[in-house]
Amino acid sequence: MSMSSTTDSIQSPVESADLIRSYPGFLWWGLGEATNGGLRFYVWMFALTAISLVGANAWAHQVAEGMIVTNMTDHVSWGLYIANFTFCVGLAAGGVMMVIPAYLYDDEEMHKVVIVGEAVAIAAIVMSTLSVVVDLGRPDRFWHLVPGIGRVNWPVSMLTWDVIVLNGYLLINLHIVGYLLYMRYLGRKPNPNWYVPFVFLSIAWAISIHTVTAFLYCGLGGRPFWNTALLAPRFLASAFVSGPAFIILVMRILRITTGYTAAPGPARTLIQIIRVAMTINLVMLASEFFTLFYTGGAHGASAQYLFFGSHGHYGLVPWIWTAITFNIVGAILFFMPSALDRGSVRITACVLCIVGIWIEKGMGLIVPGFIPSTLHEIVEYSPSLVEWKVTAGIWAFGILMLTVLLKLIVTVFTGEQGTAEA
Amino acid sequence: MRQRLLVTGLLCAAIGGGSMAMTRIVADNAASVSDSTMEHSAGHDRESATRPESERRATTFAVSIRKPSGPPRIATGVHDLHGNAVTVACSQCHTVRQPNHQNKAAGDLDEFHGGMAFSHGTVSCLSCHNDQDYDSLKLADGTRIEFSDVMTLCAQCHGPQMTAYQHGAHGGLTGYWDLSRGPQVKNNCVDCHAPHTPQFPRMQPTFKPRDRFLDKPRTEH
Amino acid sequence: MTDDDKSGSEHQPGELSGPHLPILNQPSTRRTALKAVGAALGLAAFGRAVSPLWSIPENVSVDEFLQQHYKELSEADKKKVFERLEAETKENYGANVTISDPQPIPGVRFGYAINLSKCNGNGACMEACNKENNHHRGVDQSYIRVLEMSKGSLDMEHGTTTFDHTVPQDDKFYMPVQCQQCENPPCVSACPVEATWQEDDGIVVVDYNWCIGCRYCEAACPYHARRFNWEQPEIPAEEVNPDQGYLSNRIRPQGTMEKCHFCLHRTREGRAPACLEACPTGARVFGDLNDPDSDINWILKNKRVFVLKEELGTKPNFFYFFDS
Repeated sequence: MSMSSTTDSIQSPVESADLIRSYPGFLWWGLGEATNGGLRFYVWMFALTAISLVGANAWAHQVAEGMIVTNMTDHVSWGLYIANFTFCVGLAAGGVMMVIPAYLYDDEEMHKVVIVGEAVAIAAIVMSTLSVVVDLGRPDRFWHLVPGIGRVNWPVSMLTWDVIVLNGYLLINLHIVGYLLYMRYLGRKPNPNWYVPFVFLSIAWAISIHTVTAFLYCGLGGRPFWNTALLAPRFLASAFVSGPAFIILVMRILRITTGYTAAPGPARTLIQIIRVAMTINLVMLASEFFTLFYTGGAHGASAQYLFFGSHGHYGLVPWIWTAITFNIVGAILFFMPSALDRGSVRITACVLCIVGIWIEKGMGLIVPGFIPSTLHEIVEYSPSLVEWKVTAGIWAFGILMLTVLLKLIVTVFTGEQGTAEA
Repeated sequence: MRQRLLVTGLLCAAIGGGSMAMTRIVADNAASVSDSTMEHSAGHDRESATRPESERRATTFAVSIRKPSGPPRIATGVHDLHGNAVTVACSQCHTVRQPNHQNKAAGDLDEFHGGMAFSHGTVSCLSCHNDQDYDSLKLADGTRIEFSDVMTLCAQCHGPQMTAYQHGAHGGLTGYWDLSRGPQVKNNCVDCHAPHTPQFPRMQPTFKPRDRFLDKPRTEH
Repeated sequence: MTDDDKSGSEHQPGELSGPHLPILNQPSTRRTALKAVGAALGLAAFGRAVSPLWSIPENVSVDEFLQQHYKELSEADKKKVFERLEAETKENYGANVTISDPQPIPGVRFGYAINLSKCNGNGACMEACNKENNHHRGVDQSYIRVLEMSKGSLDMEHGTTTFDHTVPQDDKFYMPVQCQQCENPPCVSACPVEATWQEDDGIVVVDYNWCIGCRYCEAACPYHARRFNWEQPEIPAEEVNPDQGYLSNRIRPQGTMEKCHFCLHRTREGRAPACLEACPTGARVFGDLNDPDSDINWILKNKRVFVLKEELGTKPNFFYFFDS
């Protein structure tokens, strides 16, 4: 940070061509750097790899033997995978929404956090894409979704929108992170023309990925539990909680393991965002709750099952009350003044909110949409071992990716710092 | 479909933007408008979209109604020299007996009629059975009618059912829905309704989809 | 970057300060070699982990993998595809079958109606569907579900499909539900790859060889009309119905979606659907909505008819009515 002002931001065309040519070299160097570390680092990477492989193995069995190895049925036809997908999309969106204060207010202090947010977004997008792929009955026909060689039902099918925005979002963020790191690696000041437009695009895009994902569900007239206009705003509000909370956690881990720190300012900004977003989220939840139960009738059947159980079935009741409790306690902790100063309060609050929202948007949203079924039959769902293994594998792979990205980020940032100090 | 296109079109404009997306929507809309106009006219003036009458009625196959084989025969319990059961016609006994117009229930009857069950409104035996010729039936006005033409007899009282039957809304069928392609066979009243106890019998369902995790029958709420 | 820089970055401030294995402090060339070994081992482990996938090439031929969407197949392509599917059915199920591709009859739009005063919930339609359409025998799959409903309410909340007693019960009526062949089908809008569409006669079909198995259509359908092949269907050779349609009752591949298609391999030949023929109560009526003299039109004109979930705007071509 300190030395970047010394370099000239104007590049000649020849230089630009050189820069592009040496980019693969930078990536190769980055790969080498990102895989260097001490014993704990290798143990960590080994463990993540091992879990990923367990997940890959479970998925391979699922593809070979059929999705009968999951606990999904014709009644509850989406389960843990799509639940996890929804959460990861929120994480991806939330990760980048931190870009807004950083670039809108030109908050230099935020930049160190923003790049972490972008890394989280990249890993989360990869996780959500994987969550959809493992949910396909015929992954071998994935190419049918590719424009040009397949047949894409665009613009009618919301799922095609989702595929487009998720992939676009991944590309945008890869570009931003890659460019900023590369410039720092070269010791140059990043040229705003090369990244600011993309930053603004990614802000709009972050909102769109989560909105489109909400439309995926709330556009279905046959599922009254999802068919509410409040779904997309709720998704956004909860994304503004889970994203920053996850970044705070990552920053804490980075500080402990690598000494990569940011000034307290950004953390406070994040907590302010969480306070507002979590309040809005809870207000909207209460509003949903009121409409469903005060009006009553068949539209509330899923909510009845989710919150209180119905016809002797209580499968999701513990889940949702855990989520609500976690969210409320997390919100209270965030509102305590000590959340701004004391790490333990802040970390507890983050963990509570992340788990709470993971349940709220997954098991508490996707699954009850199917219970009772459209013919009002009640078939309950709880994930099978294979589904847990695959999901754990996806998370392990996502965290593996995140670790490599963060390793690279830390190396570039602190390496530069070292040079400057020297 | 059109609404959905419109909505996604707005989405396009709002989120995706770009003139290419818009032109695609316009084109799609134009197509779907003409589609729906066609459907619209099909709904109100079906003739226009239907198959031509000539094709529909090009060749018409028969609708046949299953018929009872004829007057019942009564087993005597005796076997002839070849081992075949000896049966007799109703008239065998009834020609020498006086008809009783009061008989309505099993208790009124004797011999092998004794164990029969009756549950068919308030009609008496001779409302339908012909006391002039026990090997046939009779209509309400006394006209003689063959056992095989029993449906005419039923239709006297069960007019709405007969009307529905004639329009395929009662009685079921096998074969072809399209008579220009093949014949149709329909049930006779007595195929499904025993004349003396015409209520359709209760049945035990034998086939249930065995979904995973679907519960035991739910008790009443 | 010089070597010095690199080794410097290995000992950054705040780097994990655990015990260092000797191998970790090797010069960078050896370290690179070790990384390569690690990567190779990782790849090998990955290959081992996904080894169940190696069975796929046996089950999915190159031709099947590359097969185009139904609407893009020429007549010659179709012939080849049907022959391949017939051969595969012979090989996997031991049954000789004929796969045809009957086209919609021009000018015909199919409609179906059920007389709820007649239906007694015996379930013969479900069984006929199972046999006609080569359903998975293991779960007694069927495109039809029969609800036992309480008299006095059309709310399916008061219905159940798992009744197991003699029917009809005096305080109940029975309502079979299958694909409503909507004019405005939410499942078709949902499908991301156009693997399901509405044909000219109103029947919504699925190209089982194009479906990717995302099950979005199953979430979108308000009538529980769609079924997923959670595993490869099992059918004894002697029970396989050899009269098969490409878009209808051919044996479906694992991992794809299927649904009621009004027995189009029968109905487009003019025959009645299997569930109608099987109904012992004569509750089912099928025909051409475009023919003013058809049985189905007589019912629409003379009975008080309703459709399920009309408020959703799906415009079903499937109707329900009561006598008088």
